[in-house]
Amino acid sequence: MLTSVFIAAVSLALFWMAAFTLWWQMHAWRTPEVLASTRFGRPDGGEQLSFSLLLPARHEQAVLDHTIQRLLESGHDDFEIIVIVGHDDPDTAEVARSAEARDPRVRVVVDTHERKNKPRAMNTALPHCRGDVVGVFDAEDQVHPELLAHVDHAFRSTGADVVQGGVQLINFHSSWYSLRNCLEYFFWFRSRLHLHAQKGFIPLGGNTVFVRTAVLREAGGWDPDCLAEDCDLGVRLSSVGKKVVVAYDSDMVTREETPGSLMSLLKQRTRWNQGFLQVYRKKDWKQLPGFGQRLLARYTLMTPYLQAVSGVIIPLNVAVALFLDVPVGIAFITFLPAVTAFVTFVFELVGLHDFGKQYGLRVRFVHYLKLVAGGPFYQVLLAGAAVRAVWREQRGRRDWELTSHVGAHLTEVTREDVPA
Amino acid sequence: MTSTLPAVTTSKVPAQRTPAPKTGSTRRTRPSRLRASRPDLVLCAVLLVAVMTVQGWNIADYPALSDDEGTYLAQAWAVQQGEGLAHYTYWYDHPPLGWIQIALLTWIPSLISPESMTVGPMRIVMLLVGAASAVLVYVLSRRLSLPRWAAGLAMLLFGLSPLSVVLQREIFLDNIAVMWTLLAFCLAASPSRHLWHHFAAGIAAAAAVLTKETMLVVLPALMVTMWRHSHRDTRKFALTGAVTACVLIGLSYPLFALLKGELLPGAGHVSLWDGLVYQMTRPGSGFILDPGSGSHGVLRSWLYYDRVLPLGGLAGALLLLVTRRRSVTAKALAGPALTVAILALVAMRPTGYLPAMYVIQALPFLAIVLAAGAASVTHAVLRVRGGRGAEKEYVTRARYAVLALLVAASAAYVVPRWYDGDRTAVTADANAPYRAASRWLATEVEHPEDTRVLVDDALWLDLVHAGYRPGLGAIWFYKADLDPAVTRTMPRGWRDLDYVVASPTVRRDAVDLPNVRRAMEHSTPVATFGEGEDRIEIRRIDSTAGTAHTSTGGNR
Repeated sequence: MLTSVFIAAVSLALFWMAAFTLWWQMHAWRTPEVLASTRFGRPDGGEQLSFSLLLPARHEQAVLDHTIQRLLESGHDDFEIIVIVGHDDPDTAEVARSAEARDPRVRVVVDTHERKNKPRAMNTALPHCRGDVVGVFDAEDQVHPELLAHVDHAFRSTGADVVQGGVQLINFHSSWYSLRNCLEYFFWFRSRLHLHAQKGFIPLGGNTVFVRTAVLREAGGWDPDCLAEDCDLGVRLSSVGKKVVVAYDSDMVTREETPGSLMSLLKQRTRWNQGFLQVYRKKDWKQLPGFGQRLLARYTLMTPYLQAVSGVIIPLNVAVALFLDVPVGIAFITFLPAVTAFVTFVFELVGLHDFGKQYGLRVRFVHYLKLVAGGPFYQVLLAGAAVRAVWREQRGRRDWELTSHVGAHLTEVTREDVPA
Repeated sequence: MTSTLPAVTTSKVPAQRTPAPKTGSTRRTRPSRLRASRPDLVLCAVLLVAVMTVQGWNIADYPALSDDEGTYLAQAWAVQQGEGLAHYTYWYDHPPLGWIQIALLTWIPSLISPESMTVGPMRIVMLLVGAASAVLVYVLSRRLSLPRWAAGLAMLLFGLSPLSVVLQREIFLDNIAVMWTLLAFCLAASPSRHLWHHFAAGIAAAAAVLTKETMLVVLPALMVTMWRHSHRDTRKFALTGAVTACVLIGLSYPLFALLKGELLPGAGHVSLWDGLVYQMTRPGSGFILDPGSGSHGVLRSWLYYDRVLPLGGLAGALLLLVTRRRSVTAKALAGPALTVAILALVAMRPTGYLPAMYVIQALPFLAIVLAAGAASVTHAVLRVRGGRGAEKEYVTRARYAVLALLVAASAAYVVPRWYDGDRTAVTADANAPYRAASRWLATEVEHPEDTRVLVDDALWLDLVHAGYRPGLGAIWFYKADLDPAVTRTMPRGWRDLDYVVASPTVRRDAVDLPNVRRAMEHSTPVATFGEGEDRIEIRRIDSTAGTAHTSTGGNR
C-alpha cells in the first residue's frame, strides 16, 4: 500500500513536471498568431540608435578577424566594435590591433585582470562604450548584416530595455549529440525564451543580446563571479521589471557550432548548470512580483537537476509497473511520465523537420533515427553534467572550464580557480 | 504581413494577437467567441430546453427497455460496487470506458436511492449526455461557419427527430461515444487553432473510441477537419500532436489487458485478442438493401421512426461532397459530410454485422449536413445571380417567394410526421409489462435469496435490488450456456434453476442456447404481463423430473 502511494506520488510529480516543460517548449507553436509574433518586425528604415558591440576574444586569433570583418559589413550606420583581449594573449591582441588600424569603428580594450573570464572582460569594456545600446557577440559568431537594423527597430517600436536575438547551432549532422544540441537550441530560442519574455522572467543568452547602455550601467554590468553571467543578467534585469523582448527569425539568427567533443559539451553544460545554481542561490529572482513568476524562476533555474532525476526515475517507474505486483490503477499512473516523455519525443521529431525546413537543410531519415536513439544517451549526459555541477559547486570549484576555442591553452585556463 | 514583438516582460501583458498570415482559408462568418455572443447563447439555450423537454418527458417508459441497456447499466453497477468491470468475468467484448462513465454519471443518484439503479429511472442520466451532444452540435455547426439559423436547425434536427429521441433516451455506449466524437470535432475546428486544442481533440477522439470501438472509422474525417482548420505554419505540430495523443490514450486499453496478463489468448483466461476475434467474426446480417436480410430489417426500423434525418442527411452529404470544390459551405463541411459517407459505406458492407444502434453515431452528422444543405440551398435561392448590376425588385421578391414555398413544403412534410413520432415518445408506456414482472418477482417469490432465475439483462438489476443474488441467483440468461463460471454451478442443467423470465429477447435467443431452451420447454407460465409478441411470462421450471428444489448455488 505504502509502495503504491509512493510510486503514484512520484509518478504524478514527474508527470506534471514533464507536462509543464513540454507545454513551455511548445509555446511558439501554440497558435499561428503566437508563431507570427515571435519574429522580428520589419525595420521602417529610420535608424536612430547607436550600438557598441562587445567582442570578448581569448585565444581566438584564428577566427577573430573573419568575425570582425563580417560585423563591419553590417547595414547599420552607427556602431562601434570593441574587441576585448587579455594582456597575456598577444596573438589575439595582434589580430585585433590590425583590425583597429584598418577601420576606425573597431577599438581594442585590454583586460588586465589576473584571473580572466567573460563577465570580467565585458565589465572592463563597459566604461568605454559610447553607443546607446551594448551588444554582445562571441568571437566565432556569424552575424547577419541586417540584424542591427532589426534590433534597432525592435528597441524603438517596443520601448524595450533588452532585446534578445536568436542563436542557433547549425551543424546537426556532425554527430549524434550535436543533433540533439542543435535541437535544444532550436526549441529554446525559437519557442521557450518567448514564453519567458512574456511571463516576465528570462535567463538571457550569452550572445546576440542587446541592452540599453544606461540600464546595463545602472545594473552594475555583469557579475564577475557567476558562471552563467548571461542568465544572471537576465534574471536581475527582469526581476526589477525591465522590459525584455525576444525575436527569432531563422535568417537573422547568429549561427554557432556545437562543442567539438562530447567532453567539451559536458564541461560547457556543467558550467551552465553550475551557473544556474549560482543564480538560484543569489535569490535575485525573489524580487519578482508574481507568485507564478517566482515559481517559474525557481523551476527554470532548477531544471538541470530535475532533468537529471527524471532521466533516472522514468525508466525505473515503467519497470516497477511491469514487474512489481502493484494494482492496475497504480500501474497506469506509473506510465504517465513515460507518456509525456513520448509526446516530447514526437514533438522533437517534428521540430527537427521544421528546423530543416527553416534553415533549408536536408534532414535525412537517419537523422530522425539518431534523434530517437540518441535520446536516452543525451539524457545520461545531461544527468552527468548536473551531478558534476552540484559536486563542483559543493567543492567550491567555481572556475571557468573554457572549452572549444581555447585549444592548447586549456590546461592553463582551468587552473585559474577562484578562491572559495 | 504585420508582425510586432509581443513578448515583453512588463508583468501582465497578454499575448498580443498578431494576425497570422492568411493562407486562402475559407472562413465566412466565423464568430470570434461563441460564448460571448448573446444571440448564440439565447438561441442555443431556448432550443436546448425544447429538446430536453421532448427527450426527457416519459423517458423511463418509452421506448421498451433494451437488453443492451441492462448490460451496460449492470456493469456500471458492478463498477460502483467495486467488483471490477463486470459482475461476470469481463471478457473484452467492448472497451470498458463507456460503462465506467455510466457508473460515474449514476454515482450520485444511486447513492441517494440505491434501488433506483435500474434501467428505466437511470435513463435520466442519458439526458445529460444528450444535452451535451446537442450543444456540441450547435457549437460545431457554428465553428464550421454555418449561419446561426442553420446551426439552430442542426440542433433541432439532431434533438427532435423521433429516431434521435428514441435512441438517445436509451443507455447505449454509442450515445456517450457520440458526445466525445462531437467534442473532438469541435476542438479540431477550434477558431484559435491552438496546438493544445488539437491535442485535446486527439484525446477526445481516443475517449470516443474507448467508449465504443466503432468510432474508429470516423477518425479519418476528424483528421480532414483538423487539417482544414489548422494553419499551414503550425499544422505539422498540431496534427502530429493530435495523432500522438489519440494513439497513446488508445493504447491504454491493450496496456490494461497486458497489465492483467490478458492481452493474448491462453488457457483458463479471457483475452483482448479473443474479444477482438469475436467482434470481427460476428455473423453478418446481410446486405442492407437486400429486402430479406437482417440489415434491411434494421434499416426499416430506423426509417419507421424517421425518414427525414437519415435520408435527407444522406442526400445532404452527397450534395456537399459533390459541390465541395464550388461551394464555400461544402468546403467547410467536408468533415461531417465525409463522416456520413464513411458510416454509410461501412453500413453497406455485404458481410458486416449491423446493430440497431449503429445509426446513433451518424445522427449528429446527418443533422449538421442536412442543415448545411438547407443553408446551401437558401444561399443559392437568395444570392446566386445570373447577370451583373442591380437586380429588379420583382426578381428579389420571386426569390423570397420560392424560399417561402420551400420552407412551407418542408414544414408540411416534416412537422406532422415528427409530431406523431414525438407524441408517442412522450405519452406511450412501453414498459408496463417489465415493471409488472419486476414487481411480481419482488413480492411473489418467497425466498429470493435462494431462488435462481434466468432473466434478461434489462430486468437483472431489478432482481438484484429485490434480494436475488447477483450473478448466480439472478442470472443473465445466456450466461447459463456461455459462461463456464455459471454452468459449473448448474451440474444438472436446467433442473438447477427455478424460474425463467421469458421476455421477447429471451424467447428470441433461446433457440441457440440449449440450457435456456430446455428451461423454457420444462416450465409453465405462472404470470404473464402484456400481450402478443411483447408479452413477458414468468415461467416456473418444473423440476419434478429430478430432485426437488435444492439450489446449490456455488460460490462465485
